[in-house]
Amino acid sequence: MMKKLLLSAALSITMMSTSPAWALDVSEIVAKANHVSYYQGEDGRARVKMEITDKQGRKRTRDLTILRKDIGNDDKEQKFYVYFNRPADVSKTVFLVWKHVGKDDDRWMYLPALDLVKRIAASDERTSFVGSDFFYEDISGRNPVEDKHELVKETDNYYIVKSTPKDPDLVEFSYYKSYIHKTTFIPVKMEYFDKSGKLYREGAAEAVETIDGHPTVIKGTMKDLKTGSQTTLTYSNVQYDIKVPEDIFTERYLRQPPMEYIKR
Amino acid sequence: MLALSEIAVKRPKKIMWLAAMLSIFFILGVAAPSLFPKQVSILPPLTVDTDPENMLSADEPVRIFHNERKKEYSLYDMIVVGVINKKDPNGVFNPQSLKNIYDLGEYARKITWEDKDGQQEGVISTEIISPSNVDNIEQAGLGTVRFEWLMKEPPKTKEDALGIYKKAANLPFLNNTLVSGDGKAIALYIPITSKNISYTVANKLREKIATFKGNDEYHITGLPVAQDTFGVEMFIQMAISAPLAMLLIFLLMWYFFKSIKLIIAPMIVAMVSVIVTMGALIMTGNTVHIMSSMIPVFIMPIAVLDAVHILSDFFDMYPRFKDRRKTLDHVMKELSKPMLFTSLTTAAGFGSLASTPIPPVQIFGLFIAFGVAMAWLFTVTLVPAYIMLMNEKSLEGFGMTRHEDETRPSSPLARLLHATGPFTYTHARSILLVMMILFGISIYGISKIQINDNPVKWFAQGHEIRIADKELNARFAGTYMAYLELSPKENINIQFQKALRRALEQNTTPQAQTLKEKLPELGTDINTLKDFISTQQDKAKNDDDYYAWDDIATLIDQIYGRFEIFKQPDMLRYIEKLQAYMLKTGLVGKSNALPDMVKTVYRELLLGKEDAFRIPDTQNAVAQTLMTYQNSHRPNDLWHFTTPSYDKTVLWIQLKSGDNKDMNKVVAAVDDFLKENPAPIALNHNWFGLTYINTVWQDKMVSGMMEAFLGSFIIVLVMMIVLFRSLLWGVLSMVPLTITIAFIYGIIGLIGKDYDMPVAVLSSLSLGLAVDYSIHFLARSREAAKKCANWKETIPVVFGEPARAIARNVIVIGIGFTPLLFAPLVPYKTVGFFISAILLFAGIATLLILPAMMTLFEKFLFKRKDIS
Repeated sequence: MMKKLLLSAALSITMMSTSPAWALDVSEIVAKANHVSYYQGEDGRARVKMEITDKQGRKRTRDLTILRKDIGNDDKEQKFYVYFNRPADVSKTVFLVWKHVGKDDDRWMYLPALDLVKRIAASDERTSFVGSDFFYEDISGRNPVEDKHELVKETDNYYIVKSTPKDPDLVEFSYYKSYIHKTTFIPVKMEYFDKSGKLYREGAAEAVETIDGHPTVIKGTMKDLKTGSQTTLTYSNVQYDIKVPEDIFTERYLRQPPMEYIKR
Repeated sequence: MLALSEIAVKRPKKIMWLAAMLSIFFILGVAAPSLFPKQVSILPPLTVDTDPENMLSADEPVRIFHNERKKEYSLYDMIVVGVINKKDPNGVFNPQSLKNIYDLGEYARKITWEDKDGQQEGVISTEIISPSNVDNIEQAGLGTVRFEWLMKEPPKTKEDALGIYKKAANLPFLNNTLVSGDGKAIALYIPITSKNISYTVANKLREKIATFKGNDEYHITGLPVAQDTFGVEMFIQMAISAPLAMLLIFLLMWYFFKSIKLIIAPMIVAMVSVIVTMGALIMTGNTVHIMSSMIPVFIMPIAVLDAVHILSDFFDMYPRFKDRRKTLDHVMKELSKPMLFTSLTTAAGFGSLASTPIPPVQIFGLFIAFGVAMAWLFTVTLVPAYIMLMNEKSLEGFGMTRHEDETRPSSPLARLLHATGPFTYTHARSILLVMMILFGISIYGISKIQINDNPVKWFAQGHEIRIADKELNARFAGTYMAYLELSPKENINIQFQKALRRALEQNTTPQAQTLKEKLPELGTDINTLKDFISTQQDKAKNDDDYYAWDDIATLIDQIYGRFEIFKQPDMLRYIEKLQAYMLKTGLVGKSNALPDMVKTVYRELLLGKEDAFRIPDTQNAVAQTLMTYQNSHRPNDLWHFTTPSYDKTVLWIQLKSGDNKDMNKVVAAVDDFLKENPAPIALNHNWFGLTYINTVWQDKMVSGMMEAFLGSFIIVLVMMIVLFRSLLWGVLSMVPLTITIAFIYGIIGLIGKDYDMPVAVLSSLSLGLAVDYSIHFLARSREAAKKCANWKETIPVVFGEPARAIARNVIVIGIGFTPLLFAPLVPYKTVGFFISAILLFAGIATLLILPAMMTLFEKFLFKRKDIS
């Protein structure tokens, strides 16, 4: 598989003048990157430490557990169960996401202190994820079909892909650039440019580890260059293919967290 | 004759050249670094400072606190753009107006640039409060809550346009702030990186607004814009008032002395004095502040004052001697001492301002004192030198004709004064009685004085900033912002550590014991503690160990949560009560605080029901409500109201009036409330924000000015006693100005004019000027009395040339300040009006009260004098 890809990359360089091959390759690169970022294994679990550091250096931490399950093998539908361990006063809060392709995601949250299950209208996924510099869309993944992709550069280690939204009114950026690692297909760096063409947001994979044969980002950051704020997600206890049943990802389990899957 | 004048008379040309060179030196010293800052970097360029904040020195605690808190809560100086539409029944809530507002909001985001050092300057796009840049939170179908941009794109229909208003009006944070209470207007709040760029940003906004169609009115205001505009108008003031004062003084002198050639001398004195003083001010690196910009207008009349005395005397005496050298000798002999003393007292009066705690006032006082000294120096040298350089022929026919005949004076002024003299003798008692009555009324008036100021009111009525201020405050909750910070009295960290230690002692797990031992090393920082636990978890031998540590982390978090006091419902309810109380006083248009955010989100979580618009019952519920809020486009708005550790909170208070007296009332009301209603956890409270800072420097100004005035009063009194070598004469010389100052302040109290910054400065200003008349009058009276049998016989002599000199002075100087009335800025007008009034009144008081008192106290005043 890897060899095949490298071969096609090499081919694409030799065929630079005849561009149709480019378009194909870009979508393949993007698809691979999308897979590596969100769809490895059929399901997974991770303990996430979220650390938000603002411009003044003030830190806030949140500690969560994320369960994921893919629906089908086509890298499209999937479900997330995000459980808050800490801070203590939001402990047991749950976010549930059913990610769809071609229509808006379904999102719920459960607030234990209010004993309230609430749907969150997902018309805009580019809002903050619980006060961090990550957007909802960064957590669950932006659907590749929403952008036009273009391979702008290839270095020894990276494909540099420029992605432009098909509907610019839905997002706050004019385009973003991904630096996709050639062997692992992990987007190591993401640069978002605003409507006046200025870099204003920067994501990076700070550490990668191979877990159960899957190259996995175990530390990622997102910087908001406008506010000077930065969020680091540190993943621990990452496990793949834990066989989490699909019915966990339903409203029923919001009030009764499936601790046997949440704990390792 | 003074040695200096002697030299000037002997070497008039050299003296003139010296003065010219000096002027050129100072002009170049200012012009070179201002025009070519790079080439002439050793000298400071001309810098204008219009920031009222600088009325306090930079290390003033309230300013340090203000700047620290602004940073901590990410608060910025803002330009306020109010949009009003008086034609459309729905105001600006129509598609066309909203399209314009949308375009303006989006345009404003892009006003940024990099400064010389590569720092980002301009608008802080993420913090703009405009319909397209704030979030709406609302119900979106059953059990669904939605965050969306309030106006993602301009609405197409009338209904949608009105919908924008309805949505915003439903959100306490935006209602009456972004949208007006009457549903007709919108205000955009555009934060900028620094106040100094507000003029540039406002102009860019104006350019954009100029391209809009429709009949919307745009009003740009906010303290930063006001300040920049003030700077521009300050220069207009300097460009108009100073030359106008010059012209007026010139015309008046021409009228009195009928010789253009002669009166050029005082003009030269004034010019050189102003150039040297302003040159020295700028070359020593001082900024041109609202106060120091008035220096030229002050120096000019003062500088011509002594020259007018010389000229007046010369004018009267020349026909007697028919020789300029001899006339000068006579004049200078007579005037040297009073001129020195009047200059010294004036300098002392202004110099006393150096003791005020307001840096711009100190600079103003010191440099005027310096200017007065310069004016004296140039008067005693340049005026004689100039006279000596004149063609003797041109003096022919000059001076008072028929001067010998003092009994039948020619000019109306001379006739009036001639009649006044005997009147003061015959009606001495009545004059003093009237004086006592006026004094009594004045004291009553002074007791009525209202201390108040408002930088926006420094602009004249009808100025666009005043109009914007009026229009916006009539529609919104207020454009004046003050901030109130609440923080716990007791040190939270110490309490947290105590509680944590106690909890760990009760916890028997080995993990708890490990942490307890580590505690002294780790300290109380929650993040350090959590990091420590994370490392322990990474090293965990097994799942049990891992989850035991997890439990410890949760335990720490629970204890810490107890000290996140502004997540606690009872504390939030307490703030709510304080807010309601403030609103009830009627002084506050609106306040925004943490409870408003919590209540709004909580209501939307509970299906948007009005009865759910309340603080939830538990801290966890508050925390979860706030976390929901942070799923919006602007999660960081929360940190404008509290810190991430929730140990402090800030209330934003909007006032419709920026008057210091109104701010003071709010401060007093809050003090009362906090005293009578102690919070569940004892709190400290501290104010900041420009509206509050203004009250602080006002307090300093009032007490500082009082001290400066008393100080200079005593200094001048001592100088007078020394000058006259008599306690009685010294005290007597202070009477007219004391009455004058009391009278003027009495009037200010009676007519209800606010005692503001310019009024506060007046007392010290007028002290130094008004005493001059007494000095001249008493010194000349004493001289004259030597040659007369008694006071009655002295009166006609004193009310001859000496009284005329004083009267001419009163007129020239009094009118000389009136160009300030044409300034577009109120402080200048106030100073111009009252200085003129003070001088006029002091002149009258001197010429009436002093002779009346001398009539009554003749025995004591002249008792030891030999009557020749």
